[in-house]
Amino acid sequence: MKHLPKHLRPRWRYIAVGVESWSDAEVGRRAFQRALWYSAGNLLGDAGSADADLTLLSFSHADGTGEAVVRVRHGHVDDARAAIACVSEVDGEPVGILVRGISGTVRACEERYMGRATPSSTQRDVAFEGAERPAVARGDACDVRVESGRVGATTFDTE
Amino acid sequence: MYEAVHAHPDGETTVARHAATAARHGYDGIVVRTRDALEPTGGGESVAADGDGGGGSAATDRDGSPVTDPDALREEYGIDAVDAVEIDADDPTSASGAVGNYRSDRTVVCVVGGDDAVNRFAVEQSRVDVLVRPMADGGDFNHVLAKAARDNGVRVEFDFGPALRATGGKRVRALADLRKLREIVDHYDAPYVVSANARSHLQLRAPRELIAVGEAIGFDAETVREGLRAWGDLVERNRERRSEGFIEPGVRRGRYEEDGC
Repeated sequence: MKHLPKHLRPRWRYIAVGVESWSDAEVGRRAFQRALWYSAGNLLGDAGSADADLTLLSFSHADGTGEAVVRVRHGHVDDARAAIACVSEVDGEPVGILVRGISGTVRACEERYMGRATPSSTQRDVAFEGAERPAVARGDACDVRVESGRVGATTFDTE
Repeated sequence: MYEAVHAHPDGETTVARHAATAARHGYDGIVVRTRDALEPTGGGESVAADGDGGGGSAATDRDGSPVTDPDALREEYGIDAVDAVEIDADDPTSASGAVGNYRSDRTVVCVVGGDDAVNRFAVEQSRVDVLVRPMADGGDFNHVLAKAARDNGVRVEFDFGPALRATGGKRVRALADLRKLREIVDHYDAPYVVSANARSHLQLRAPRELIAVGEAIGFDAETVREGLRAWGDLVERNRERRSEGFIEPGVRRGRYEEDGC
């Protein structure tokens, strides 16, 4: 179809989102998109969700850390921010969300907020609460496996 | 702005990881609700001094147990870690005993609500700083409690946890409760705080996100912002109260002339 004249095209904002999870969690692009839309649907309703759009433009996730660019309709950024903040799980895996910033173009968004070097993760045993336990360390963060599950610690805790 | 968190062993994340995450989210400090997670400051001065005295060896002797020293955390992450306690009692009598025990050595004392009698007790005690989660587990709040909270300076918590993490009917009920609480608190000008009640670093959300969520569920942006700042104000007030020069509100020991004539 012929594209719209400029004044009728929707105006977009692009939200850079940092995603964090436990280091052994797998978070997929489709699952994250689904979580976003569910969250928007639940918080804003169908109408608000359609207004905000919240299409995932790019997504990457590995070793418990990731980032995404989310497209939002201009003027609905606050609603979108609330919906994004309400994403607490993706496929049953808890995720932490941080909005890094908002740009008017995808390119500015990527240049300014994306592609931050993340330290590579290493698997090793650390001393935690009086025992050697398997852990995954990534930079300062250190996810330790204990009897009751996982504990988020830092290398500051374990050294 | 401050946020109040649950740390390991109550939550899934150590104080240090919470501090690192909160610093990244732009908070000035965290209030650690878990009693065992942070060393009390003040009150037990000598104990703290002992810990510092053995500082070098203590760090190595910790045997991998999480960092509990607020000063070390501040130095490492540039964030204020505040020792607090959450008192979860079944009845006012035991809550009263616990408040008396912890008031002298904790900066912030919270009482977990959710029970009508405990809610009533907490708002009528000026020794209590915050009544947290007043509407959880079928607890209720009304104009009598709001007036008492205002008169005694007890802050009532707006718990954003269910709004962020619950789904379905549970969330709907939690939002309805939040609205009811907001209307009562608004009307009587009772003091309040806002928190996401994070149990792990993944549940922490930045102030702007909490404000956006607050707006989506009917709060004013300024109300949420004020609620997040209120933790900081509370900490500052209590620290001043516990400082050496403090005698009573408005009266403090200051400089005086050595040989007054």
